[in-house]
Amino acid sequence: MPRKIRSAAVIGSGIMGGGIAALLAGTGIKTLLLDIVPPDLQKEDKNNPAARNRIVKAGLDAALATQPALFMSPSDAQRISIGNLTDDFEKIADCDWIIEVVVENLKIKQDLYKRIAPVRKKNSIVSSNTSGIPLKAMSKGRSKDFKQHFLGTHFFNPVRYMKLLEIIPGEETLPDILEFMADFGERILGKGIVWAKDTPNFVGNRIGVQGMVKVMQLMLEEGVSIPEVDALFGPAMGRPRTGMFKTADIVGLDTLAHVAKNTYELIAEDEDRESFVLPEFVNTMINKNLLGKKSQSGFYKTELTPDWQKIRKVIDPQTLEYAEARPVELPCLAAAQKAKTLPEKMRAVVYGKDQGARFAWQAVANNLIYAANRIPEIADTIVDIDNAMRWGFNLEMGPFEAWDAIGLKKSVTRMEKEGFAIPRIIKKMLKAGHTAFYKMENGIVCFYDFESESYKEKVFSPNIISLASLKAQEKVVQSSESASLIDLDDGVFCLEFHTKMNSLNQQIVEALHTAREFVDRQGIGLVIGNQAGGMPGAFSAGANLADMSAAAKAGRYADIELLIKNLQYGLQELRYAPFPVVAAPFGLTLGGGCEVCLAADKIVAHAELYMGQVEIGVGLIPAGGGCLNLMKKCLSALPAVVTDFDLAKFFLPVFMAIAMAKVTISAADARANGFLGPCDRIVFNRDYLIGEAKKEVVKMVDEGYAPPPKRKIRILGQAAQGMVAAEVSNMLSGKFISEYDAFLAKKIAYVISGGDVRDNTKVDEDVILTLEREVFIDLLKEEKTLARIEHMLTTGKPLRN
Amino acid sequence: MRDAYIVTSLRTPGCKRKKGAFKDTRPEDLLVFMLNAVVEQTKGLEKKDVADIMIGCSFPEAEQGLNIGRIASQIAGFPVDVTGATVNRFCASGLEAIAQSALRVMSGWSDIVIGGGLESMTYVPMGGNLPRPHPEYTQKMADLYASMGITAENVANRYAVSREAQDEFAYQSQMKAAEAKNKNLFKELVPTPATRYVPQKDGTYNKETFMQDYDDGIREDTTLEGLSGLNPVFAAGGSVTAGNSSQMTDGAAASVIMSEDKVKALGVQPIAKLKSYTTVGCQPDEMGIGPALAIPKLMKMTGTDLKDIGLFEINEAFASQALYCVNQLGIDQQIVNIHGGAIALGHPLGCTGAKLCATLLSNMRQRGVKYGVESMCVGGGMGAAALFELCD
Repeated sequence: MPRKIRSAAVIGSGIMGGGIAALLAGTGIKTLLLDIVPPDLQKEDKNNPAARNRIVKAGLDAALATQPALFMSPSDAQRISIGNLTDDFEKIADCDWIIEVVVENLKIKQDLYKRIAPVRKKNSIVSSNTSGIPLKAMSKGRSKDFKQHFLGTHFFNPVRYMKLLEIIPGEETLPDILEFMADFGERILGKGIVWAKDTPNFVGNRIGVQGMVKVMQLMLEEGVSIPEVDALFGPAMGRPRTGMFKTADIVGLDTLAHVAKNTYELIAEDEDRESFVLPEFVNTMINKNLLGKKSQSGFYKTELTPDWQKIRKVIDPQTLEYAEARPVELPCLAAAQKAKTLPEKMRAVVYGKDQGARFAWQAVANNLIYAANRIPEIADTIVDIDNAMRWGFNLEMGPFEAWDAIGLKKSVTRMEKEGFAIPRIIKKMLKAGHTAFYKMENGIVCFYDFESESYKEKVFSPNIISLASLKAQEKVVQSSESASLIDLDDGVFCLEFHTKMNSLNQQIVEALHTAREFVDRQGIGLVIGNQAGGMPGAFSAGANLADMSAAAKAGRYADIELLIKNLQYGLQELRYAPFPVVAAPFGLTLGGGCEVCLAADKIVAHAELYMGQVEIGVGLIPAGGGCLNLMKKCLSALPAVVTDFDLAKFFLPVFMAIAMAKVTISAADARANGFLGPCDRIVFNRDYLIGEAKKEVVKMVDEGYAPPPKRKIRILGQAAQGMVAAEVSNMLSGKFISEYDAFLAKKIAYVISGGDVRDNTKVDEDVILTLEREVFIDLLKEEKTLARIEHMLTTGKPLRN
Repeated sequence: MRDAYIVTSLRTPGCKRKKGAFKDTRPEDLLVFMLNAVVEQTKGLEKKDVADIMIGCSFPEAEQGLNIGRIASQIAGFPVDVTGATVNRFCASGLEAIAQSALRVMSGWSDIVIGGGLESMTYVPMGGNLPRPHPEYTQKMADLYASMGITAENVANRYAVSREAQDEFAYQSQMKAAEAKNKNLFKELVPTPATRYVPQKDGTYNKETFMQDYDDGIREDTTLEGLSGLNPVFAAGGSVTAGNSSQMTDGAAASVIMSEDKVKALGVQPIAKLKSYTTVGCQPDEMGIGPALAIPKLMKMTGTDLKDIGLFEINEAFASQALYCVNQLGIDQQIVNIHGGAIALGHPLGCTGAKLCATLLSNMRQRGVKYGVESMCVGGGMGAAALFELCD
């Protein structure tokens, strides 16, 4: 019988337990969330079920209230039932997977497993989300059957957004259980799997925490400031903007200290054990309750001036006084700023001459060596360590990728000169003439395997198609600076955008036409998708505003109109092309990016989808068919036999989505808002997106794809404009919107409703496309629109003028 | 002209829209019950003696459509030759219906007419099911389409009615209503059958009836602090909140109006005479000031002095406008809405005029007040007011 997870029990309703429950519920799994009965129950509450579930209820409520949202849709919470470990424990017998997320205390966990063992259903899986306690200690005394079904599944916080899932096999875990959980974690939960060994703090936290604590130690030795550290270990090094110390503030200093101390105690043999000892000033901070975000003050704190200006202050490690954080100026960072690619930036930092660069070099060198020394102790391959750091700490490159970026040979030469102890395996590798950890061979990514002392192919799930790899295999059939058409095999091609934020421009618009012609001649169908990095990443952030602004300022309205028309008809012609077109959006899918998807035959979306038509923010309207196609999408669920209905009920949500610049918080939310239709699909693993989209194309062709007939569209006409004008006037009177917002809202209503025409008229689609263009060009002539665009370009934020 | 006597004037409880006791009760059922109730409570009156039935309704469509005055009276069992009409003057509809019924009697065209009002804001929402403001005039005459909340903000801003004063007024309305309810002073209220759909064990539903005998919108436990903590809903930085606005409510009310001859023939004891009724227009974007214009006009028409009026029912569409009108007229708050107003008891639009008539007459009788005035503001920019004289 094939294994399934129909229902799961999450024991422990803290931030991790709540996050895991939210994720499971989001994938459609019935989830039981349990926690203890409050130990301080009043006598009169002893038999009150609500009081007995108080802790778990608070945990679920906290998960629901967390921002950014842990739930993809609040309604997912309906799949979660709550209970307590006293009255509802028997219910875990129904669950296919029981995941323990209780407090990090060995005794408590052991006792819990002892209780789970006799109740759990035969063949069910039991796992621990511990971040540090050895599995063998937790399962001690349990039966063989229990141990065969027991493993570590270590999620990272916040569970929904962090891709890393460390799977830690127990000594006796059955291979088919491990295989199942890896596939389940990757395909259903959308996580990236790292195989970790049962060693203290596993992979991500072992390497990550060593790096953070070592940086704190070195900072004091080298006399570098906290803001300097964060600037050095920020985007210049391919790390999150929060750098080291801001990240520590988010994690919580007490949590960091706990992990560091726990590791220190368990790794007596570690050659660099001392790099887990926090500097004294950090312990003092913890004693003073300066724990970071959770106590409002940590390494940083934000203060408000009397006139509501925010000032960010930073602590001085010597005096523990806070002072205003000044912008950091270091020559190596200035050089990194100028560099184009990430490896160039990294080299500018670690090989710089200033004090900051010297510090960064030492910290990096130390962490690289530490990582290399952990193989095979904590993981078998460099791939696992790199993945853990990318997925668990949001680094753009893991340690070995970074090592390649700064040059393995060059850096090792310097390390040797400066007296670093070079790991034996690295020396051996270099001696054999291997100067990089990764290389591409015939489009296949290979990594250096220390055990076999040779390169091995990086293995992916067959569901994953790597566009980079296909490009290296010379599968590109059309290409410009902005877009490429890539052969995915089986007659399916992928139109990939590769501009900054994948914004739409002239070349991309042209690519829509050339790709259609190519696929019509030589293929069976088209996927529109890309694999741009970043979290959340951008399928496409919309039209290139800078181009638009320049053209408008130069008065080249005819050119703009032509471009818009080409975009509109480029997309519409794909819609009516004789082959299926599947869009594969993820992350930011805004403006034109959203319009590309709305025009497709089908959308295969990543679960993390931030989709919206946000043009009003820059004083414009969707003019790439967005007004037309969102309305069409909303109406498309109706069978033709439903001829008499209140069109206003369909018009209003479409109008509101555009007039309020609604951006969805997930793919589920996009479905709720009509951006995704009932036939569109949601995929949890972003790496699967292109592969799944290709499968859909093949399936649609197999099923006998025929393009949709071009029908007239029913519009609400002037009736809509009256409704909107009345409401807009109220909002204006209530000062909820500006005069210009009101003006724009009426324009949006005018376009979506089909212009000055009687309600319920059926018009050609082209009518709305024409109105989109006319209004778009008119708005580009408005001073306030130009001011909005300018403001967005310079500040990245919308202007409400 | 003859005198028009109101011999019976009753109302259902007012129950909260979508959440209250009448949320599953069809509007026709509320009205049919009230029509029967006033006939039953008028000694010697037979349905065949009624000439016409005029019903105020602000959104006479869908469940309230098809001329609810005729539909409901037929369902109620009036003979086919008894006619029915729907009357609409928005928030004054119920009073308009009573006034027109009275005029029929006063002119001698009819001897017995029933006037009343009905609104289920649950079944037919404010604005109706399918609002379609005129596309051009929403631009040219936006004020004509202004939301009632905006007009309340305008009154507060233009005539300096503070947030604190509005909240205090709202609080008093709640407290007066709570006291009246607890002391059983709503003598005009008829316990009314209500519908509910009850889920059964097998998952199907059963339609059941229960009696509702109190106004379920009263918030006895409200506090000034609570009210002052609410956010303004109609304007950013505004002062009009859900707490100092009227409630959206379901309800029905009706009055039996007769000529003196009929009063004598049937031997009934009339409650009051409707002396006069008037309406007046004002700017649509400050419709709330209507009573401040309509009441002086009424006084002038009838040659009455405000000082002679012993009780007022001034509809509390919003605390801002009701308070402005009371202050502007210089009336003693002690004799206004003595059992609370629409902030606590609800404002079932088309029913309100008929409901306040029942309340005012009941209170005039309880207190032995000779003259009472009912007034309200009306959406679109109007005020309406009527003068009643208690019968000995």
